[in-house]
Amino acid sequence: MQRNDLLWVEKYRPKKIEDIVGNDEAKASFVEWLKNKRHTKKAVLLYGPPGVGKTALVNAAAREFGFTIIEMNASDARSEKAVNAIAKPATSYKALDNFTGETKTSGNMLFLDEVDGIAGNEDRGGVSAIIEIIQKSLVPVIMAANDPDIDKLRPLKKECMLIRFHQVRFPLIIALLQKICLLERVSAEFEALERIAQNSRGDVRSAINDLQSLSEATHNLTLQDTALLSSRNKDISMDETLHQYFAAKSIVEVQRLLSYSSVDYDDFLLSVSDNLPRRYTDPSELAAAYGYVSKADLYRGRIGTENWHLLKYFFNELAQASAVNPESFKPFEFISPPIRIITLFWTKGKRNLLGSICSKIGANCHVSHEVAKHDFVPYIKLMLQQKKNSPLIEWFKFSIEEVDHLLKMGRY
Amino acid sequence: MAASEEAVMWVEKYRPKTLDEVVGLKDITESLKAFMKNPKTMPHLMLAGVPGTGKTTIALAIAHELYGQNWRNFTLELNASDERGIDTVRDRIKDFSRYSRSGFGDIPFALIILDECDQMTGPAQTALRRIMETSSRTSRFILICNQSSKIIEPIQSRCAIFRFSRLDKQAMKEQLQYIARKEKVDLQPEAAERIVEFSEGDLRHAINALQTASAYKEGCVDEKTVSLVIGEASPMQVQKMIRKALYGDFTEARKVMYDIMGNFGFSGNEIIRQIQREIYKMSDVTPEQKADLSSIIGEYDYRLTQGANSDIQLSALLAQFGKFGKNIEETYAAK
Repeated sequence: MQRNDLLWVEKYRPKKIEDIVGNDEAKASFVEWLKNKRHTKKAVLLYGPPGVGKTALVNAAAREFGFTIIEMNASDARSEKAVNAIAKPATSYKALDNFTGETKTSGNMLFLDEVDGIAGNEDRGGVSAIIEIIQKSLVPVIMAANDPDIDKLRPLKKECMLIRFHQVRFPLIIALLQKICLLERVSAEFEALERIAQNSRGDVRSAINDLQSLSEATHNLTLQDTALLSSRNKDISMDETLHQYFAAKSIVEVQRLLSYSSVDYDDFLLSVSDNLPRRYTDPSELAAAYGYVSKADLYRGRIGTENWHLLKYFFNELAQASAVNPESFKPFEFISPPIRIITLFWTKGKRNLLGSICSKIGANCHVSHEVAKHDFVPYIKLMLQQKKNSPLIEWFKFSIEEVDHLLKMGRY
Repeated sequence: MAASEEAVMWVEKYRPKTLDEVVGLKDITESLKAFMKNPKTMPHLMLAGVPGTGKTTIALAIAHELYGQNWRNFTLELNASDERGIDTVRDRIKDFSRYSRSGFGDIPFALIILDECDQMTGPAQTALRRIMETSSRTSRFILICNQSSKIIEPIQSRCAIFRFSRLDKQAMKEQLQYIARKEKVDLQPEAAERIVEFSEGDLRHAINALQTASAYKEGCVDEKTVSLVIGEASPMQVQKMIRKALYGDFTEARKVMYDIMGNFGFSGNEIIRQIQREIYKMSDVTPEQKADLSSIIGEYDYRLTQGANSDIQLSALLAQFGKFGKNIEETYAAK
């Protein structure tokens, strides 16, 4: 979703330990452990909310003390096999690089990010494999997690020194944002920066991301611009999201809106689909827009509950759908909630009745529901209309409601 | 379940009970009768062919032949498209082969008739293959499908396959006349012709149409009544939806779509299959246009299986139809 070659979070990633804002205590104990206390515990677990500098600290420390980081993170599968394949060789010999004459090198350092993401099933044996590595390791093992209290990590915690990270305090974040504004030549209102910092809830990374997305285009940031921010934590209504979606002037704008809005994606997709014909009246434009929405739906299907890395493509297709012909946009009244949900709600009784009718036909005439619906229901309906007390009723054991429904049923 | 002797629906009342009673499928019944002489040698069977050509009838006749009057106790009838997934199928088969007494007289197995197997997904079929293996000592399967090509190879190779082709018109007319005589109804030749024409080799459909038409006038079925019944019983909503979409009234077309889904409970897959069928029935669309529309349908049929919401894919399909309709109009205008 990023518009620039370099994300500011990457560009301003702390190079030195002292560049990391906040969490002084945690930084100090980590450095102390790395320098002097590695004989007490072979591994350390850094834990705390996202975006407060855990990964940054490991990277900065490695750089300062000359370690090579061997990293595995949540996107790598961490089954026992995977852990052993990567981590074991990395931890079983010490400072091999010393032989190459590169004197600054202190050797390898194994870094397992997001260990709380070790899934129960796919990563079977992952925790015990990590413990084994810690016990045998000749190099420092560092882990990071957001939530160390989950059951599966309990055995791991015994092997580690625990270092806790806190949310970074607002004034520190504001100061950092000001520094970045200066370097990026962004003129920002102080209140706007304050707002971003508060909204971030102590997450430095998200604060920098917000700053970039709000000010990159104009290099100017007012308190008004931060209105969009509210959507990250507070729900903006479906109508509001739809409004901004259809009124958007560029794909970038839509992508930004969608990444901030917290509307349910399935509902949003349905609502977009419902409202497209109001937005595009020309059949070719409508077809083009629906082409994109259809693809967005494909990505939604593939995302399922786990392939969230596909989300950006989902956003992209949706964004394209809103930008088929920006000139033709005129405000219109939205259909909401989704037609599908309303229709299915009102017709549930009818469907259930038809379902039980078809079950009875299926059982008596050895056919599936679908065949019953196509090849029997229309005829049985006509026969009942001809003869109200037809023996069919008794033979199929239709209830009064079912007979009634058959008689009144429209043609499909 | 109603006993078939007193069946009210003619399709059941006149369904042949034994292989001998089945007319017009000599090749198939003869080879099956060979199995019946020594049932222990009977392999799994696969009956493949278009609807209404006698597959279920043959399967039920085999059950009759094997077990006589008590066939229901030894036969499990399942419909793959009605059961919710392969796990349900597995559980029901497991339960059945556990409780079904091991053998009846000479028959050392129970019979499992699984209809509409071609509706099962690949993984489900693989699971079915396992089930067939694990229960092969206690059960024989009769698999029924429209297209055997949609059944995975390993299952096909475990079965003796019988193919059913469309019934020929003369045989159908004779069958309809036979039923009419039994029911003391005067079925006029033109009326029979019309029913046969309409039902496209599907005897079940034809008999239902005949029975319905006979309910209109006491003791007589003429062509006028048949036309009326056929008109009233034919689906029209899908046709209506397609036309609205092609003529550029997308909103109305989508309303019909939701009506079909809501009131009749058709799934996206069923609707798209009907769209395909209806397109080919349209007389005012050229073969080239049908081919073009068909390739649009194909794309969305595929997407339907990949996406999250069937209504979005169907809406998108209707929108493509709208564009297609507009292009045709413009071509005509240019000429």
